[in-house]
Amino acid sequence: MTDPLVLCIALPLLGAMLVTALPRWAVTLGIVAALSTASAAVALTATVWQHGTLHLMLGGWDAELAIALRADGIATALVLMANLVGLGISVYATGYFHDRIRVRSFWPLWLLLWAALNGLFLAGDLFNLYVMLELLGIAAAALGALTGNRDAVAANLRYLLVGLLGSISYLLGVALLYTAYGTLDLGLLAQGVAASPELYGVNAAAMTLMVAGLALKAALFPLHFWLPPAHANAPAPVSAALSALVVKAAFYLILRLWLDLFWPITDMAVAMLPAMLGAVAVIWGSWRALRAERLKLLAAYSTVAQIGYLFLFLPLLAATPPGPARDDLLAALLLMALTHGFAKAGFFLAAGLVQTNAGHDRIDDLGGTAQRLPATTFAIALSGSALIGLPPSGSFIGKWLLMQGAIATGQWWWVIVVTAGTLLASAYIFRVLSRAFGLEPTPLKFVTDARAEVPALTLALVSVALLGLASGPLWTLLGLGDAGGGA
Amino acid sequence: MSMSQSESRAAERNRDLSLLVAVSLAVLGAALTWLYFIALSAGAAPRLADLAYERLPGTGVSNPVTAVLLNYRAYDTLMELAVLLAALLGIWSLGPAAPGFQRSGAVLAGMVSWVVPLLIVTGGYLLWVGGYAPGGAFQAGALLGAAGVIVRLAGDPRAGLPGEGAQRWLLVLGVLVFTLVGLGLMAFGAGFLTYPPKFAKWLILLIEMAATVAIGVALAAAYVGGRPPGPEAQPTAEDEDALTAAETPTPDPTPALRPQP
Repeated sequence: MTDPLVLCIALPLLGAMLVTALPRWAVTLGIVAALSTASAAVALTATVWQHGTLHLMLGGWDAELAIALRADGIATALVLMANLVGLGISVYATGYFHDRIRVRSFWPLWLLLWAALNGLFLAGDLFNLYVMLELLGIAAAALGALTGNRDAVAANLRYLLVGLLGSISYLLGVALLYTAYGTLDLGLLAQGVAASPELYGVNAAAMTLMVAGLALKAALFPLHFWLPPAHANAPAPVSAALSALVVKAAFYLILRLWLDLFWPITDMAVAMLPAMLGAVAVIWGSWRALRAERLKLLAAYSTVAQIGYLFLFLPLLAATPPGPARDDLLAALLLMALTHGFAKAGFFLAAGLVQTNAGHDRIDDLGGTAQRLPATTFAIALSGSALIGLPPSGSFIGKWLLMQGAIATGQWWWVIVVTAGTLLASAYIFRVLSRAFGLEPTPLKFVTDARAEVPALTLALVSVALLGLASGPLWTLLGLGDAGGGA
Repeated sequence: MSMSQSESRAAERNRDLSLLVAVSLAVLGAALTWLYFIALSAGAAPRLADLAYERLPGTGVSNPVTAVLLNYRAYDTLMELAVLLAALLGIWSLGPAAPGFQRSGAVLAGMVSWVVPLLIVTGGYLLWVGGYAPGGAFQAGALLGAAGVIVRLAGDPRAGLPGEGAQRWLLVLGVLVFTLVGLGLMAFGAGFLTYPPKFAKWLILLIEMAATVAIGVALAAAYVGGRPPGPEAQPTAEDEDALTAAETPTPDPTPALRPQP
């Protein structure tokens, strides 16, 4: 029963090894690995759906000694999103990279990144999470530098160093916790932290170190400085993975620590700081996106803003007692993260196609794109509407519940932030769309390059239609109890 | 005059700033040390050490460090091998290695022919001894890597490693064997990386042998500092065909930096 849990991590890892060893077959083997990994993720979702939260003690040792893997509702939803987006990116990449050496560099690193993502979402052990963060950071920085130009290499070297700083800060927190509680297992540590209010200083220091390190990786304002150049200069499929998945993984980890481990000390006052930084990120990121001259830079700044929204949920969760209202907030948070994952991946893939086709991605010179690349422009519009939060996208429901929660808990000021961010987002999306139309004749073909356009379009469509109109299962997934799982 | 004045003022400000950074780092360090001692005195004194010793008989090895690395927390070690591989692939993705150094003189060459075999034998010894005393795959791999560094310094552009094709297989050997053993155990119903005590020793030795080779090759290749030079670097006719089949217009904004096929 717990096999899909392992397969989600082992399959991309195995794929990465085969792709490295047999570079001539990189594309074929890469696609096979992508398909089988995504199938494992679907199987995992189905298993969790039927049986509830899964636990696995690797090696069959006691909970203290072994490394735990676990898949609950939140982890499963994110794994499913990441793997579907990953599949889309893989299909797109088969048409994007033509250079032989680039193909051989991309596939092994991409599959290693994928293994690290799944491993991070499913880990239940603090030190194992550190190893996953390292693998994720190194693979991501190497992938980001694949374009090989000076800007990309410089931006990604900075990304690598920033990532290492974040990891080390996280590791310091882990060391403090292990010293105090003598275990690395998340579940056991949570019990320890809850039972030792006298160790407030140690707990608070560990939380600060870990959350600050991860906030650096999640690009929370003002620690976002490394993100726009790194994401905007990477090859399009890599930008999509970095913006939609890698940043999200760091946020997921913050959420996990916040809700599962440090809940006894994360009260309203503590939650205010990240939320305030998130609010500034929403406004500042959206503003910089509006002022960006290049399409990919716009998308990168939009990521800074979208990550900001996720942090707004923290004080609301702290102020809401457990019950349906809190479940709604958690589901809304997840819905926004998932929608952004699909939408931003679709946006970056489409932007990459625009760049390939026009030879540049200067927003002011995009006239006629709608006529030349109708499907791509449609994908940009769709994912753009999900980024704004127009109905029926998933982020519409997410923002709605966010504002509802803000008013219900008397924190009305977040409503202003969300409204302003949404207005700015519509401004920067419509700025692109208004430039994209030109006076050229209407084309005969809607789809010009299926291999590249279909993934972008599908991801954008999922973010708007599927997540918005069929978000009910998410509540079910989150509400699933702990049904034990296998050994 | 005013130029040098403003320069000296800037230098002064820089000095003040670095002093401020140093002082705040010292305060932070002191605070963390203090918290560390609070955590240390909070109990949980032996932490996991006692339990790790207690379960040692079922692990297949008698060295507790090896038991932690290859049995209790084998999954971490598997992923650390993947980290090493990712780092090397990152180095390779940045371009080919710089041309080799000058050939070594007679004295250095003589020393190399003594030291390298010695390093390899010592590596093998450390690998075996890891089962019951300090040693193991990482130490043995580090010695192999050091042998590669010495060979490279003596002028071999490939650091004594085989061509790219074979090098790739050696590099992935560690993670590949590790993952396949894990999945094989899962297929036989034992669970991922759950060694049956009867076979634990031999499975661990198998994994460690593969890991030693992979670590040694990865370290030596990282020292070479780029994709290995060799005939593999030239595109073959088969690759050319695949390339033209997949061609679409102007895929890259920086055509000057990409090697044209």
